[in-house]
Amino acid sequence: MTQTRDVFQAIADPTRRQIIGMLAQKSLNVNTIAKEFDITRQAVSLHVQFLSDCGLIEIKQQGRERYCEAKLERLNEVTDWVNQYRKYWDHKFNSLDTYLAKIQKKKK
Amino acid sequence: MEKHNTFRQEDNILIHTRILNAPRELVWEVWTNPEHIKEWWGPDGFTLTTKSMTVKAGDVWDFVMHGMGRDWDNKIEYAEVKKPSLLSYKHTGEKSDDYNFTVTILFEEVEGKTLLTMKSVFKSKAIIDELNRQVNAIEGGKQTLNRLVDYVKTLVNQ
Repeated sequence: MTQTRDVFQAIADPTRRQIIGMLAQKSLNVNTIAKEFDITRQAVSLHVQFLSDCGLIEIKQQGRERYCEAKLERLNEVTDWVNQYRKYWDHKFNSLDTYLAKIQKKKK
Repeated sequence: MEKHNTFRQEDNILIHTRILNAPRELVWEVWTNPEHIKEWWGPDGFTLTTKSMTVKAGDVWDFVMHGMGRDWDNKIEYAEVKKPSLLSYKHTGEKSDDYNFTVTILFEEVEGKTLLTMKSVFKSKAIIDELNRQVNAIEGGKQTLNRLVDYVKTLVNQ
């Protein structure tokens, strides 16, 4: 399936950038992350889920706690303009393919 | 079909190839008809209004993107048009002419599908390098990101 969430969306948000920054230093559980922010734990949890969906962090169950670990190698995808351009068009071609499938289905 | 989905840089040219599961005439149509192009062009979450579109060499596609709380004027000038196999246009941005680039799209038939080859030609390789550096230098958030990337690189190099 087409991946709808990517690294660019992940880093577009300041809260998520801050979470990545925290996790870059060490793995943390969601509660510890949430304490650093003025927003609700649920909101932080959604950001964490988003980062996980993008592959930027991995969530590991340890006993009763869920620990978040940064997968920083994925950040290398966004280090320069050429990569952004490539990613942008990869994504647009997916949209284009999906749209083509839709209009061909209608015709039949 | 995966082998058709490629990307590479050759000096001042960025080259994308992609196979699309549709006949060539239809793929041409969705690139050149305002009703179709608004369905897929532009960043996610943006909508598009075409002011005018004349797909002929020397003519333009004049359009507005709506997103992130404002309107973004865009103009694309067609350089070469050979229906249904070649479309070439020039991007003109707000920056100086140095940053403008020409995009050429080839549409080829492959087993009932369409192989798209998109070439983006920049004024020089130096311009691409400069764009890379600029993106690396963008404001606070990205700075944080760069520090993260540097940090990762030090880990990898150890």
